[in-house]
Amino acid sequence: MWRKPFTVMFGGQAGYGIMSAGALVAKAGARNGLWAFVVNEYPSLIKGGLNTCIVSFDANPVKAYEERLDFLCALSQEALDQNYNKLDRGAAVLYDSDAVKPDRDKVPQAVTLYPVKLIGSLSGETAKVMANSAMLGAFCALSGFPIEKIADIMKTGFIKAKVLQQNLTLLYQTFDQTRSLFAEEKTFPLSFQADGNRKMLLNGNDAIAMGAIKAGVKFAAGYPMTPGSSVLTYLADHAVEYGLVFKQAEDEIAAVNMLIGAGFAGVRALGSTSGGGFALMTEALGFAAQAEVPLVIVNAQRGGPSTGLPTRTAQADLNFVVHASQGEFPRIVMAPGDVEECFFETFQLFNLVEKFQVPGIILTDKYLADSSIVHPYFEDGDLRVDRGALVDESWLNDNQPYLRYRAAEDGVSPRAIPGQMKGRHIATSYTHGEDGFYSSGNREYAAQEPEITAAGLDKLFAKVPGILQEIQGVKLHGPQAAELTIIGWGSSKGAILEAITAVNQTGRTVNFLQVLYLSPFPAEAVQAVLQGSKRTLLIEGNKTGQLGAMIRTYTGLSMEEVYLKYDSRPFTPALIIEKIKEVLL
Amino acid sequence: MEDLKNSYVPTWCIGCGNYGIWNAWKKAFMSLNLDPEQTALVTGIGCSSKIAQYLNTYRIETLHGRSLPVATGVKLANHQLTVIAEGGDGDGMGLGIGHFIHTARRNLDITYLIHNNQIYGLTKGQSSPTSDLGIVTKFTPPPRGNVEQPINIVQTALQAGASFVARSTAADPKLAEIIAQAIKHKGFSVIDILQPCVSFNHVNTYKWYQERVYAVSELSDYDPTDYTKATAVAAQWGDKIPTGVIYAAERMTYESSLPQLAVQTLSIQSIEAIIVTPLMDELA
Ligand SMILES: Cc1ncc(C[n+]2csc(CCOP(=O)(O)OP(=O)(O)O)c2C)c(N)n1
Ligand code: SF4
Repeated sequence: MWRKPFTVMFGGQAGYGIMSAGALVAKAGARNGLWAFVVNEYPSLIKGGLNTCIVSFDANPVKAYEERLDFLCALSQEALDQNYNKLDRGAAVLYDSDAVKPDRDKVPQAVTLYPVKLIGSLSGETAKVMANSAMLGAFCALSGFPIEKIADIMKTGFIKAKVLQQNLTLLYQTFDQTRSLFAEEKTFPLSFQADGNRKMLLNGNDAIAMGAIKAGVKFAAGYPMTPGSSVLTYLADHAVEYGLVFKQAEDEIAAVNMLIGAGFAGVRALGSTSGGGFALMTEALGFAAQAEVPLVIVNAQRGGPSTGLPTRTAQADLNFVVHASQGEFPRIVMAPGDVEECFFETFQLFNLVEKFQVPGIILTDKYLADSSIVHPYFEDGDLRVDRGALVDESWLNDNQPYLRYRAAEDGVSPRAIPGQMKGRHIATSYTHGEDGFYSSGNREYAAQEPEITAAGLDKLFAKVPGILQEIQGVKLHGPQAAELTIIGWGSSKGAILEAITAVNQTGRTVNFLQVLYLSPFPAEAVQAVLQGSKRTLLIEGNKTGQLGAMIRTYTGLSMEEVYLKYDSRPFTPALIIEKIKEVLL
Repeated sequence: MEDLKNSYVPTWCIGCGNYGIWNAWKKAFMSLNLDPEQTALVTGIGCSSKIAQYLNTYRIETLHGRSLPVATGVKLANHQLTVIAEGGDGDGMGLGIGHFIHTARRNLDITYLIHNNQIYGLTKGQSSPTSDLGIVTKFTPPPRGNVEQPINIVQTALQAGASFVARSTAADPKLAEIIAQAIKHKGFSVIDILQPCVSFNHVNTYKWYQERVYAVSELSDYDPTDYTKATAVAAQWGDKIPTGVIYAAERMTYESSLPQLAVQTLSIQSIEAIIVTPLMDELA
């Protein structure tokens, strides 16, 4: 049966460098042949509250996180109190002997406790900044994780030599002290060997931002909202180097309208937000569609409704984004399931929104946006920018008079941008004819209003077949034929893949139909798979089974079994394996 | 001048102040000898915003209240363009007030023309954020009429940090000249253009404005670079309404603070084959 990766949790109060400790060990592993998955959980508090970072290590790529712990490092009482029930058999618990008092009755059997003086040996602010170095020293001593690999990473991470020296000293001191207290255990099961493959540690938002830069994004605008903000931070950080502009707007309404301005002026533009900010953008989403201005918006979902849970995950905005804004119009909604898709599909989406002159939405969630994974370098050599029907001046010269919204079979008309000779036109949010004019502005148009209205909508929807042809709407993972087909979308992909791999090793057969593009809905592709399925199981991170309802609407097919999780935490392989067993029993 | 027109006839009411502004706009444009291919006009929604339909530059008629953020995106994408934002008082001071304040703070090189008829024209006569106290409209019925203090656009623009602030009227023979000055100014320039709405505002008529406006240039040694003086004059509204260039100062524009733009205009950059390997190295 499935063997979960070696899993370490670092836990403590906000501000003690819990997350950077996690990233540090994951990177140390990555540079030495290991794979890892890093999940941060933190409340929406600036100070205090429990921060945890779970790092799962394996000799093979890790696709999801798991909450059964092999090693817990607790810097605060809460870090231990809230995690007794996650300790696996044989787990080790390292805790700060000054700050944490374990409740012996709650410690599961076959779990060993290791009290070590960690923060207590430090004073004031130093404690905060360096507590994680002390913790890592003790962790290495007890687990057998090679301390010099951690020291190597530290050496590249600190800018000030003095601070680096202090941290290194503390790392080794705590290591020695822990060694003198406890016999060497060497519980860490994996061996360290640099394998020559270049790997990076990145999260979904990093991958989206990098994919956008590769696609030539030149303008980004936004207003901070967790967990969407870090896409923008990434772009802001690299703006000068890559010749792009990031503008912090006064609100999300301004942000999306800035994107429209930039898109109209011929620049690839990206915004990033979460549900509430996306809600504010909806009027402009329709404007982008009506004026046929391409742009891309990331909605990194968090728990809801309303302000909901800023730092926790959910997959509950699906209905909202596919229907957002008044009237009817096509848009492209893409829900990446992992960092690979975050990078490559973001690149692809920029091509698609220009080719079809429609708005595009990247629908992720806190779990994917914020969890880091050790991943090989992206092989981006084959990626080609395609700007669609963006015309040049010589084309304009040969094609006068120029009609911006000229009727076309595929709904796509040649696009000129301000500054080009002979491309002057009006783009408008009103229902308009081929030249961009409309009835309340022109008496001539008023007389033909019904025809123009219908033709305008037909033109927008004429794009749909072309879009469906270009997108890879679904991916089928696992065996072609199976006893059970799981259907899901977005960030649950990793956990589902781990789970079906495990189950398939036991001789049962389960496959996974991932819906990667949710609008326009790839109905035929979904139907083709589901019609041949023996049994179906829908897996979604929401209360009402939103993808299930879409499948019913578009194919008439209903999912037999449903596993919905809406408790603000992601799916794990173990939970899905359990559900599969229940269904297949 | 013909080049700026297109074949459509405006649907504005006969006698509407928008015609005067339209004509002044074209005159200003010709006097500066601007290239319509290098100009982007960004409007909101309202009678006034329809001006985008009747001028032949690059134009984008946006959403109600959103002309300034769209203009910001256009300007940053191609800062070589002459960018003009335009719309009504409801558009700019109602839904758009937040954008107005922030765009003024930013001081991008955008010219913003506000057709201020102190009423909502296109939705047929509701009160506007600039409606005078006591005015009776569809949404502010008698006996009290409008009880909310009107926004003074000139004063608000000055306080928010606009680097060029002027006022004029739709019938002012000087309007074209003021528009030209505003376009030439490097930075965010605002013109509050008092515009009669002959259909729905029967108080603030051509005559009403004519009886009250005076040119600040008539004041003895008025200096539009003096912020303190400008704020004092800007506060005036009622029996005497100051017009002309009320404030003009040089300030660094937002776009000139961006080193990326000094290298190359965003819209003409090649985006083929961008290399992201260094970004991957950062994460290794
Ligand atoms: C979000 C939104 N709310 C309301 C409207 C309706 N609306 C159209 S024009 C307008 C007011 C126009 O007034 P103003 O900006 O003063 O321009 P005018 O017509 O007087 O030139 C309103 C409220 C709209 N189009 N969009
Ligand atoms: S309603 Fe008023 S503002 Fe609109 S066109 Fe008529 S007169 Fe002009």
